[in-house]
Amino acid sequence: MTDLDLRRLEPQPSPSGEPLVAPSATEPDDMVLARLPDRNESYYTLVWRRFRRSVSGMTGLVLVTLLIVMAVFADFFAPMHPRATDTPFAPPDMISFTAPDGSFSLIPHVYPIGETGEFDPVTFQPLTGPILDDPTPVGFFVKGYEYRLFGIIPTNRHFFGSTDGRPIHLLGTDKFGRDILSRGIYGSRISLLIAFAVVTITTTVGTLIGITSGYLGGTVDNVVQRFVDFVLAFPQLPLYLALTSLVPLTAPSNVFIAFVIAVLAALGWAQLSREVRSKTLALARIDYVRAAIAVGSSDLRIITRHILPNVLSHIIVAVTLAIPTVVLLESFLGFLGFAVKPPLISWGLMLQDTNTFSVIGSYPWILSPVVFVLITVFAFNALGDGLRDAVDPY
Amino acid sequence: MPERNPFAPPERHDLGKHGRELILDARNIAVDFKVEGGVVNAVRDVSFQLHKGETIALVGESGSGKSVTARTVMRLLSRRATIKPGTKITLSGMDITSLSEREMRRLRGKKVSMIFQEPMSSLNPVYTIGRQICEILHLHNRISHREALERARQLLEEVQISQPAERLRQYPHQLSGGQRQRVMIAMALANRPDILIADEPTTALDVTVQAQILHLIKDLKDKYGMAVILITHDLTIVRQFSEYVYVMQDGVVREHNETEAIFSNPQHPYTQRLLAAEPRGSARPLSENSPIVLQGRNVNVTFKLRRGGMLRPDYFDLVAVNNLSLDLRRHETLGLVGESGSGKTTFGQALIRLIENQGGEIYFDGQPIHALNRKGMRPLRSRMQVVFQDPFASLNPRMSVRQIIEEGLIVNGIGASRRERLDRVRQALRDAGLPDNILNRFPHEFSGGQRQRIAIARAIALEPEFILLDEPTSALDLSIQAQIIRLLRKLQDEKGLSYLFISHDLKVVRALCHRVMVMQFGRIVEQGPVDEVLSNPRTDYTARLVRAAFEIAA
Repeated sequence: MTDLDLRRLEPQPSPSGEPLVAPSATEPDDMVLARLPDRNESYYTLVWRRFRRSVSGMTGLVLVTLLIVMAVFADFFAPMHPRATDTPFAPPDMISFTAPDGSFSLIPHVYPIGETGEFDPVTFQPLTGPILDDPTPVGFFVKGYEYRLFGIIPTNRHFFGSTDGRPIHLLGTDKFGRDILSRGIYGSRISLLIAFAVVTITTTVGTLIGITSGYLGGTVDNVVQRFVDFVLAFPQLPLYLALTSLVPLTAPSNVFIAFVIAVLAALGWAQLSREVRSKTLALARIDYVRAAIAVGSSDLRIITRHILPNVLSHIIVAVTLAIPTVVLLESFLGFLGFAVKPPLISWGLMLQDTNTFSVIGSYPWILSPVVFVLITVFAFNALGDGLRDAVDPY
Repeated sequence: MPERNPFAPPERHDLGKHGRELILDARNIAVDFKVEGGVVNAVRDVSFQLHKGETIALVGESGSGKSVTARTVMRLLSRRATIKPGTKITLSGMDITSLSEREMRRLRGKKVSMIFQEPMSSLNPVYTIGRQICEILHLHNRISHREALERARQLLEEVQISQPAERLRQYPHQLSGGQRQRVMIAMALANRPDILIADEPTTALDVTVQAQILHLIKDLKDKYGMAVILITHDLTIVRQFSEYVYVMQDGVVREHNETEAIFSNPQHPYTQRLLAAEPRGSARPLSENSPIVLQGRNVNVTFKLRRGGMLRPDYFDLVAVNNLSLDLRRHETLGLVGESGSGKTTFGQALIRLIENQGGEIYFDGQPIHALNRKGMRPLRSRMQVVFQDPFASLNPRMSVRQIIEEGLIVNGIGASRRERLDRVRQALRDAGLPDNILNRFPHEFSGGQRQRIAIARAIALEPEFILLDEPTSALDLSIQAQIIRLLRKLQDEKGLSYLFISHDLKVVRALCHRVMVMQFGRIVEQGPVDEVLSNPRTDYTARLVRAAFEIAA
C-alpha cells in the first residue's frame, strides 16, 4: 500500500490548460490519494495570485506606489519652490499644444492667465484670460530651484517645469501667491507621514493589547475590554480639539506634529485591538493551537508562531483601511487649524485658506488639495478592499 | 468524447423491464466549474434513469460529482457552473433542459424537491416551522392560510414528529437535528413531488437517528409512489435502501447495476476497491503482561455554565465526564464510543491534560500528572500525542510541513542539530506513508487524507508511547479511512504504541480496538473486549449503536 501511495504522490506534470481532473485512462490507481500540485505555493503566492485579479486592488496598489514615490521625491516632482511667492490668487495656467502662431507643436506651452487689457462692456471689470503672445515653454527634467535629493545630493533638476525659469502655476496660487500644485506635492509628505506614523503606533499597540487580551482571556480580558469600551465610547472630536489646544502656540512645529500623532494614536488603537482580540479568541481554541500545546510549546511560541501569523493578514487589511481615515482626519483637523502649523505644509493646512465663502467663490482653484485627499483615500481604500478579498485564499 | 466504459452504458440494464414508468431520463450530463487557473469538469457525460416509485443511489466519495449531478436536474448550481450543451434531461416525457429559470422555479418543490445534508442551516432561524412549511404550500397552491396550516400539521404528522400542532409554532432551534431533518422532509413533500432528491440526508446526524430518518423516507416513498434519488457515500445505506446503484468517481459513472448485482459482483475496479474499503480485520492480540501506560481514576470534568439574568446570576455545573476510570496498557487500543455530546472527546483530552479536570487522578507511566500545570506537563508532552478529527483545522495554514512536524522537536530539545531534526522529520513523513520531499509545502496543498497523515507524522515524530486519536477518520472518505486505519495499525505494531481511539463509528472501532468503552451522558454504560461488546451488547444504548453501524435496517 505504501508503494502505491508514494507513486501517486509523485508530482505529475502540470495540467495547465487541460482539465484539472485528468481522464480516467491515465489514472488506474484513482482510489488512493489525490494528486499533489506540482507548484510549491506559500501563503503569499496565493494571496498575490488572487490580489492580481482584483481591478480595484491593483489600481489602488499602483496609486499608492505613485503617491509614496511622489511624497519621497517631492522636491523633484514639484515644479516650483513651495514657499516662493508670485501673484496672489493667480488662476491655473492654460496648457496648450498650440504655439502662439497657431501651429501645432508637440512641446506644450503654458499661457499664464492675466488681464487681457479689455474690459467687460457692461460692468467695466477688467477681463482675464490667457496671455497669448507670451507663452512659457515647459518640458520634462528641467532645471529649477536648488534642492538636496535625500537631503544630501544637491541638484536642481525637476520632473517638469518651465524651460526658461519663469514661474508656472498649473493649479494656480494661494493667497500669498505660492504654487498650489507644488505645495500639494510637498503636503503629501506631512499628510502621509502623519497617517503612517499614527497607523504604525495604533497597529502595534492594538495588536499587542488585542492578542494579550484574547489569549489570556478571563479576568484580564474582561478588564482590558472594558477599557477598550471606554476609549471607543469617548466623543473623539472634542477630545482631539481639547488635547491639541493643550500644545502651546509657541511650540516648534515638529513638536506640534508629534503631539498630534500621539493624540490620534491614543484614540485610534481601540478598534483594531478589538478585532485582533476576537480573532485571537477564535484561534486560541483551534485544533492546531491545541496540537501545539500537546507537543509542549510555550505561550510565547504559540502566540508568535501560531496566532500572530494568522491574524497578520487581517491586521494588514486593517492598516490599509486605517490610513485613509487618518488622512481624512488630518485634512479636517488641519482645516480647523489643529493639525499642522506653518511653515510645514499639509493638505489640511492648505484647505484652511478655503474657510471663507468669498474666497471659494472667487478663487475656486484653492480647493484643489481636496483632489489630493480624494485620490489618497480612494487609493488606500481600493488597495485595502483588494487585500481583504485576497488574504483568505483557503 | 471520453472512452465508453463497458460497465456504465448510458442506459440502465433493467430499463423498462419491470413494467414501471420511466419518470426521469438524464442523458450526458456535463457540468464545468470555473476555478482559479482553469476549468474543472466536475461532471462528464453522466446518464441515469429513474422509474416511478423506486430509489436509485448515486454513490461516490467527496468530489465524485454526485451532488452536482443531482443539482443539475434541479438546476441548482452555483454561478461558477455551466451546464454544457449535449446535456438532456427529460422529466415525465418533457425536456426540461431548455426551460427558462421561471419555468424551472415552477417545477422545483412541486415535481422535484430536495433535502440537504445540513438540517441546521437549511431552515431559517427567524421564522417558525409552521410559517416555513406554509410558505412552500402557498407558492404552488391557491389555498387559505388556515388550510395551509392544517396541511402543514398533517405533513408533520406524516413525518412522525411528536406534537405536530405545537411544533408549528416553534422555531428551528427548539428542535433536535433529527427533528429538523424531519421538518425538511415534510417541506420537501409538501407538494407531493414525483421525485425526491436526498443529498446525504443523514450524514450530519447521530448514528441512531440516521436509521429512523432513512426508514421515514422509505415509508413515505412507498406510500406516495415517489421516486427517490439517494446521494450518499455510505454503502450500508445504499445496500439497504436503494434498488439501483450508480457508482461515481471523478465526475463520471464508473459502473451501474441493480443493488444486489453491484454488491455481489462488482465489475469495475473502482467499485471493487470501494467495497473492499470497508474497515475490516481486528486488532492483534495483546500479550498478557503488558504494563499499564495511562491510568485514570474517577476523573471528573465539569463546565460551569451560567443561567439566569444579570441581576440574579445562577451557575450550574454541566458534568461532561462523570467519575470515569480507565486503564490503557502498552500496545493496546482502547475504543471510546458514543454519540455526539456523550463527553468522549472531553474525557480523552482531560486524560492528556489538554482540558482541566475537577477531581480524580491520572497516572502516566506510573507518574501522577493530575496535579501538574502546563509547565510541569512539558517534559511529558513528547511521550503523549494527539491527532484531531478535522485535518483542516489541526494544521497551521501558515507553516510548512517541515515547520509543523519540527515544532515538537524544537520545543522538546530533541535532535542536536538542524540536520538531525530534519532527518527525524523525514523519517516521520515516511512512517506516515508520505514522501519526504514535501517538506516545504503548505497544508492547503494537500487533501484531507494527506493532511491527516501529516498530523499523524507530527505526532509520531516525537516518538510518543501513547496517542490520543480523536475521531481521526470521521472527516475522511471511506477509502482514505481504510488507509489511515491500516497506517495506524502498522505504526502500532512497529512502535508499540498505545491508542485511545475516540469514535462514533463502530465499524472502525471493531477493526482497530482491543477493548471498547461505550459512553453516554458523561458516563460509561458498558465496557469490555471489542468482540464481546459488539456481538453481545448488554445495554439498549449499545445495541442501538451496533445496529446503526452494522445493519441500519434492524
